[in-house]
This record gives sequence, C-alpha cells and structure tokens, in this order.
Amino acid sequence: MRLLLTLLICAMFASLAGARSVYVTVVGHPGEDDYRVRFDGWAQQISRGLSMTPGSPLVKTIGAKAGATRQELEAAIEEAARTTEAGDTFTLILIGHGSFDGRDYKFNLKGPDISSAQLAVLLDRVKAERQLIVNTTSCSGGSVAALVKPKRIVMTATRSGTQKNATIFGRYFADAFTDVDADSDKNDTVSALEAFQYAQRRTTEYFDQEKRISTEGSVLNDIGSGTAVRDPGKDNGQGLLAGAFPMLRYGSSSVSQNTAKSGLLQRKEELEQQIDRLKYEKQSMSPADYRQRMNALLLMLAKTQAEIDK
Amino acid sequence: MKTPLFASLFLAAAVVANAATPEECLRAKKLGKTEQAATCLLELSRSDNAWYRAEAAWASGRFDEARNLFQQALSANPGSAEIRVRSGRLYLERFNKSEASKLFGEALKINEKDAGALMGMALLSAEGFSSKAEDYAKKAAEADPKRLDARELLARLALERSRPDEARKHAQQALAMSPDGAIDAMAVLATADWLEDKKTSPWEQKALAINPNYSELYGIGGDIFVLQRRYREAIALYEKAVALEGHNYRVRSELGVNLMRLGRDQDARKQLETAYEAGYRNAATVNTLRLLDSYSRFDVVRDGNLSLRLRKDEADLLRIYAMRELKKAVSTYNKKYRFELKEPLQVEFYPDHEDFAVRTMGLPGLGALGVAFGDAVAMDSPAARPPGQFHWASTLWHELSHIYLMKMTDHKVPRWFTEGVSVHEEMQVSKEWGDRLDPPILKAIRDKTLLPIADLDRGFQQPDTPTQVVVSYFQAGRVIDFITEKRGWDTILQMIGDFKQMKTTAEVIPARMGISPEEFDKQFLEWLDADVGQMARNFPEWEKTMKPLVTAFEERNWDKVIADGPRVRDLYPEYVDKRSVYEMLAEAYRAKGNSDKATEEMLRYVRKGGRSPELIKSLATLLVDAGRNTDAAGVLERLNFIYPQDAALHQQLGDLYATLGNKQGALTEFHALVAMKPIDMAGAHYRLATAYKATNQPQKALDEVYLALELAPGFKDAQKLLLELSP
Repeated sequence: MRLLLTLLICAMFASLAGARSVYVTVVGHPGEDDYRVRFDGWAQQISRGLSMTPGSPLVKTIGAKAGATRQELEAAIEEAARTTEAGDTFTLILIGHGSFDGRDYKFNLKGPDISSAQLAVLLDRVKAERQLIVNTTSCSGGSVAALVKPKRIVMTATRSGTQKNATIFGRYFADAFTDVDADSDKNDTVSALEAFQYAQRRTTEYFDQEKRISTEGSVLNDIGSGTAVRDPGKDNGQGLLAGAFPMLRYGSSSVSQNTAKSGLLQRKEELEQQIDRLKYEKQSMSPADYRQRMNALLLMLAKTQAEIDK
Repeated sequence: MKTPLFASLFLAAAVVANAATPEECLRAKKLGKTEQAATCLLELSRSDNAWYRAEAAWASGRFDEARNLFQQALSANPGSAEIRVRSGRLYLERFNKSEASKLFGEALKINEKDAGALMGMALLSAEGFSSKAEDYAKKAAEADPKRLDARELLARLALERSRPDEARKHAQQALAMSPDGAIDAMAVLATADWLEDKKTSPWEQKALAINPNYSELYGIGGDIFVLQRRYREAIALYEKAVALEGHNYRVRSELGVNLMRLGRDQDARKQLETAYEAGYRNAATVNTLRLLDSYSRFDVVRDGNLSLRLRKDEADLLRIYAMRELKKAVSTYNKKYRFELKEPLQVEFYPDHEDFAVRTMGLPGLGALGVAFGDAVAMDSPAARPPGQFHWASTLWHELSHIYLMKMTDHKVPRWFTEGVSVHEEMQVSKEWGDRLDPPILKAIRDKTLLPIADLDRGFQQPDTPTQVVVSYFQAGRVIDFITEKRGWDTILQMIGDFKQMKTTAEVIPARMGISPEEFDKQFLEWLDADVGQMARNFPEWEKTMKPLVTAFEERNWDKVIADGPRVRDLYPEYVDKRSVYEMLAEAYRAKGNSDKATEEMLRYVRKGGRSPELIKSLATLLVDAGRNTDAAGVLERLNFIYPQDAALHQQLGDLYATLGNKQGALTEFHALVAMKPIDMAGAHYRLATAYKATNQPQKALDEVYLALELAPGFKDAQKLLLELSP
C-alpha cells in the first residue's frame, strides 16, 4: 500500500513535467449586492493567487460582477475540453448559490441553472485525466453523487444538499491561494488536500469563535465512487489523489539538471520514501525507536538537501 | 338497649364529624406527630374526594398519582381556586415552575385575594429571588391574617435579605399566632442567632422539642447561610439536617451542590446521586451531576497551592497565561491585603458557559462571568464567549479579590463591599480593564437612582431591575475608589476588620469616615459628578448625534465622519462598544489615506478599554507598517488577556518579540502557538525551535525542529536550523 502511494505520487509529479494546469472559476448569480461583492472578492483572490504560481497556468474567471450564464459556463468547459491533453490537470471552482430539490443539485446561474448531472456530462468531455472540482456553494453536497468519477477529486462546502445556508467555506478556500500557511508540509506546493483541510479548519474555527451552530460541513471524494468524507485519510482510504494534486505552486521549483547531482536527488527521493514508510509503521514501533529512526532520516535528508543546494 | 343500626348511624355521624382534612394531616406531619399523621393520611386516601386522595398520595411521595388525582378533582370542580392552588404547590415542589405559575394565576383570576394563591406566588417568586416575593407574602397575610405560613415566609425573606430585626419581628408574630406550631419561624430565629455567631440558640431546642426530626430547622438555616456565602457553615447545617431526616432530598441536593463549591467532588457526588436515585431531579441536581461527569474531560494543573481546572482541549494554551496571571494576582494581594493565601485554591475555566452557569445555580444576582466560593473560583474561559466580549484576566483578579475578602472576614463581608473592592482591583491593574461605563449606568447617574450606601446590598440581592445589578457593581467600585482617595487603602483594610466583627455598613461608615451614611452619600455623589457627571448629562446629546454620524459612516461619507466625529466622541469618550466613534473615525481616516490619524484614533480606542480583537489586530498592522514594532507588540499583548485562542495572534506577537529581541516573550508566544495546534503546525514547531535556540536551550530546540520536519520533511528553513543545531 505504501509502495503504491509512493509510486503514484512519483508518477504524478513525473508526468506533471511539461503538463499544463487549467483553472476555470465560475461565479454564479449572486442575487444580492452583498453576495456579489463577496463572491467577486473570492474569485479575484483565487485569480491573484494563481497569477503568482510558476508554470503559466491557464486561468479563466467567468461571471464576475453579474454572474455567469449557462452559455458562458458551457463555453469555458468546452474550451478546456478542446485544448487540454490527458496529462494536463483541470480545476473547476464554483462560487455562488446552489439549490437541491431532494434529487437534483443545481448551480444557480444568470438565466437557466445547470444541474450537477449536466455538469458531469460537460466535464467528462475534458481530456485532462486529473480533475479537481470545488463546489463552494450552498447545497453543494447534493452534487457529489453526479460528479464523482475515477481520477476526479470532488470537494464540496456542504455534506449534503439539505444544507441550504450561504457558505463560509468558499471564503477560506480562496484564502488558501494567498496564505502560505495552507502549504502545511512546506514543499512549496498547496495540494488539493491541503487546501481542503485549510478551508475546513478555518470554517470550523469561524463557527466556534462566533458561538454559532455550524450550517455547513465540507466533504471530499477522490476515489471515484461512494460517498464523500469529512476527514480523508488512512481510515477511509480517501485523500491520496487529493494529496498528490498540486493546486498551487510557490517559487520557481526549478529542478537542477546537473547530472552530478542526480545521485543526490535520487538519494533525497529514497529518504523521503523511507520517511513516509516509517510514518505508516509508527503504530507497530515503540515511541523511542520511532523517534530515533525518524530523526536520523530527517538529519540525513537535511544534509542531502544542503548538498543539493550548494 | 341500642339496636345495631342505631350504633352504626352513631358511628357514621361520629366519623363525619371528625373527617380529616389535608391541612390537619399535613400539620400533624410537620409537627412530628407521626402516628396521628399516618392515620389522618390513611383516611384521606380512602376519601371519595379526589382532591383529598391527591393530598394523601402527595404526602406519601406518589407524585404522579397525586398529579392525576388533582386533575380529576379539577375536572369535577372546575371553578375551584383551592384545588388549583394545591395542585400548583405540587408542581412547584416537583420543579415545574411554569405549570405552578399558571395554576396560581388561574386561582387569582377566580379570586384575586385568594391567600393560598398569593402564598403560592410568594413561594414561586422566592425561588427566583425576586423582590416580588415579599409583596405576595404580605398580600397573603393581609388576605388571611391567620395564615401562619405567610408570616413565616416574611420572616425568612427578611433574614435572606440581611434584615434580622425585621425577620425576628415577623417570626415573633408567627409565634404569637401559634406558639407550638410555628416551627419554621423558630428555624428563622435560630438561624438569625447562628448568623450572629451564637454557638447555641434556644429556638433550636424549642423546635426539636416539638418535632425531633424536623430537618428543615437546619435546612432553612443552610439555605440562608449559602446566600450569605458562608458555605462551610451551610454544609455543617445541611449535614445535621440529613442526619435527622435521611429522606430530605431537597437538603441532600443542596448539600451536594455546596460540597462541590468547596471542591469536595466525591462527597458531592454521593449526596447528589442519592437525591437523584430517590427521584429528586431538579435542575441543580441533574446539571451538577452532569458537570461532575464532564470533569473527565478536564485536566488539573498545579503549582504549589494553586491549581487550574482546564478542559483538555484548551489546557495547554490557557495554563501558560492563566497560571502566570494567577500567581501575579496572589503575590500582589498577599502584600496589599497583608494576608497570605496558604490554603489550596482552584480556579476553574469553563469553555461552555452552561457548565459555568451550573456552578452559580441558586445564587442570585451574581456576575455572569465568574464566581468565588471561598476555596475555588469558577469562571468562563475566554472561549465561552465570542472574541472581545470578555476580559478573562480582569475577571480573574476580580474573583480572586473575593477569595481574600471572604477568608479575611470569615465570609461575613457585605456583598456591596466585596464587589466594590473587586471592581476597584480590576482598574488598579490597568485603567483599560474592568467594565466600561455603559449607558444604563449613565442613565442611573443622570436620573439619580444610585442607592444609598446603607442600602447598596439590595442592588445586588434584590434588584428592582436587571440593570440595577450592573449599576450597583459600578457604584460599589467607585465607592471604594472614593474611600481610597479620601482616606487611603488602610481604611479599606480597617473596614475589612470591622466587617469581620459583623458590624453593619451603617456602623462602619461613620466609624471610619467620620461622617454619617447620609453625608457620605452626599459627598460621594458630588465626587462622582465631578468625575463622570458631565458625561451622564451629555448622554442624550450623544444618542442624538450618533444617529446621523452612523448614517454618514454607512454611506461612506468620510468627510462628514471626520468633521463631526471628534465632537461626538468627546461627549461620551468611554463608549467603546460596537460601532464606536473611534472605529468610525479610524475607518474614515484610513479611507482618506491618513494612516497616522487612523492609528491615533485606534490607540485612543484601545486606551479607553476597547476590546475588539479585529480592531486591535488591525491597529497592530498599522503600527508595524509605520515601523513601530514595540507599540505593535504592546497593543497585541492586550489580546492575551481578552481572547488568547487565536493562533495568528501568537504567531504575529511572537515574531514581533523575536524581532525586538524579547527572547522570553517570543518563547512564551510560540509555546502558545504550538498549543493552539494551528494549521501550519510545522511552522509553529519551527518557530518554537528558533525561540529555544535564542534562549540557549539547544536540546529543546532540536526536539522542536525534528517535530517540524516530521510534518514537513522538505521544510528548508527547518532543515538549515537542524544542521546548525546538530553536532
């Protein structure tokens, strides 16, 4: 299982070299001025964050100021369908209001709305195999069933279609694009999982501090079937794909092409794998033994990195 | 020779002539005439009258049956006020105040002078410590001058409100009505003697001579001692009550609740569980047991004789600031009060306000934020309230002062005095601490409704309105300020000694101030007027001018806000609540690009005690942008006393301290940051590692940097630090 994860991550990052990242943010019909200002602000923040990421991702925002129409949304996704390749990543972020009638979720647009089933049909045409769909709207949990698909990560602000209040999750998801704290493992990349956990945590803190009962509960599915979960991890087998999906990168992340350092880079990779393996073996070891072995690996990794950086 | 028929008729007539009434049966029971009561109740239980059967069931503890029988009785007699009253009394005894109130109200609609219904309302009001209790009891006594219980209740209420002479008068009137039956009056008289530290009271023996198992002799005593906050003595009385009558579960419940106030949790649980298992499940019993169960989610952190009870999820953070502040307060008070706190003291922080509320059940007019019991303080944790609503450190110093005064006076200090000293102490730590001068206080000053010094206790114990409590806190604090200013702190210490000897306020003021209470009131009000009188007179003008200013602010008319704001602000400079003028002016200045003026306004806000974390943090940002790091750190430090459950605060303050070379400050803040378990946990451990390194603790630094790297193996800054620290 550990080996599979490591291979998966390596394969992903290897295949990302040369791959493009495409982001489409859609702002739905806001309804009121307050929401318009709020939703536009989130969209701008996401766009701003993405503009700083290296690698020239393709970033498109539609619906600012008045809300996107169905034609605009379909055109944006169809463009992605035409221009992406299998190795690319595609991210769709929905900001606005949603509705759920017990069976179908709809994303509220200017003019006719679009259902999650209809969205799924559009998304299936996008050639990028790795997809991230972030639905920050009210009732968004109602869209999970229609959108889940192998290699597609689906993230929603609410756990079900019945959570109808306007959400806070979107605000903190947007913050993940500009707050370095979202990169919790400090690898200069904010993964989809990190962004999800960041936004979820901030949302929970908001309701706790304000002494309000939470009216939303963000969930994630990245295994292509079944339900979405609140705490992706080992226990439910979710989060692997999301953890390897780079949503945002910092810095130049240039990799040295110096062949003299290729040995060091390989060594670094081996050490990182050993560290990951050790974490999974933690439960079966004594704390002292675990600490000693972990510290030794971390020290070796630090020394290796120092050599690479010389 | 009499025929058998004639004998039966004679017997039947005799039985009818001597038919028992509920009143007789209950009277016999109360006076300890056990056999007579049993016979009487048996007869009642066989009556054709559903009401009578209800009374018998009730007296035997079959409450559900009694309730159903009362309903039956009422259906048969829908116009009966008396049945309603009795049914209401059952509901009141079995913790259903709303149903009781409804029934008493219905009875009063049938007859507005129904003494029984008035008495029911009196008892209901007394349970809520409402000042209406006495009014109702008086009306009941007027409606039925032979009503013994009304007179006895008046005696009890007078004693609860620290009016012993009046209490004795009412009790004697009750005894005149029934020399061998007014045992509740005897209980009040005995309690009045005990309150005056008399070792024995003749009324105790007289009551026990009538009913040797009369546990409420001590139960009533215990209740009144609790209201006087003399918890140890109350517990001793309750224990005597329970020894006399083990199934007095009302007293068992009170005993349990009060044992818990002294930190005797195991003993408390025993008493409460006994009451609970016997069906005595009032709110205090149930909620206190639930709270005891919840203690498994709490840790106790000790330092010498001081301990903190903290919920596990906030223990690591709060212990840092709470223990530091507690020790500082104890050290200050030990010197100031010339009294060393040697006994163990526990301070409990409750992040769930409902848990804190359980600790104050049955204690009227207390602060909503904290309470002191003698050996323990219970208070809201900062997390119990939305950020900015509560200054926890101020509350801690306030409650700790109560502990000292209770111990120094054997719990005999009057309520107004101890509250006044506590409020005074908050402002001694900082003028920014303590409660602000709120509109109800200004109105009271302007309307001249402050209470005379001799009557100030009533503002806490029998407030006419809820705002009177708030006003009384303010007034008491300013009285202590006044005395200290005019006569020095030593006079306060002398007064503490006087109160220990049970002197009254009316005696202490002339003795220590050299003036009558009336003259004191006159001089105090003049002094207060010189200080805040103008603000009180400005209040209507302020209210009027705030409205257009707020409108201008909402319309983003910054020029108007800037033009009019300062004058409005200066009408009521103490107002720092939501949408204060300080906040509006700062926003306006910022919008006009004038950061300096915005900063100045926010500094004014903070110095007047403004507590919004959002505003304070934005002020810190302005100060940092202006290169004023020391001022920024000073501003942020305030938030640790208001709302420390903020990872961003500790990160920012720690970074500032590190920049300013305050290594110990940085260490404290980064400890707090790690305790918060922030999203960026790797960053938190790294920061703590740097702080340990700066304070020459390399092994701890190493431990922390390894923790950072375990979470984020590729964290380059942490890797560099690791290589620096490694041999």
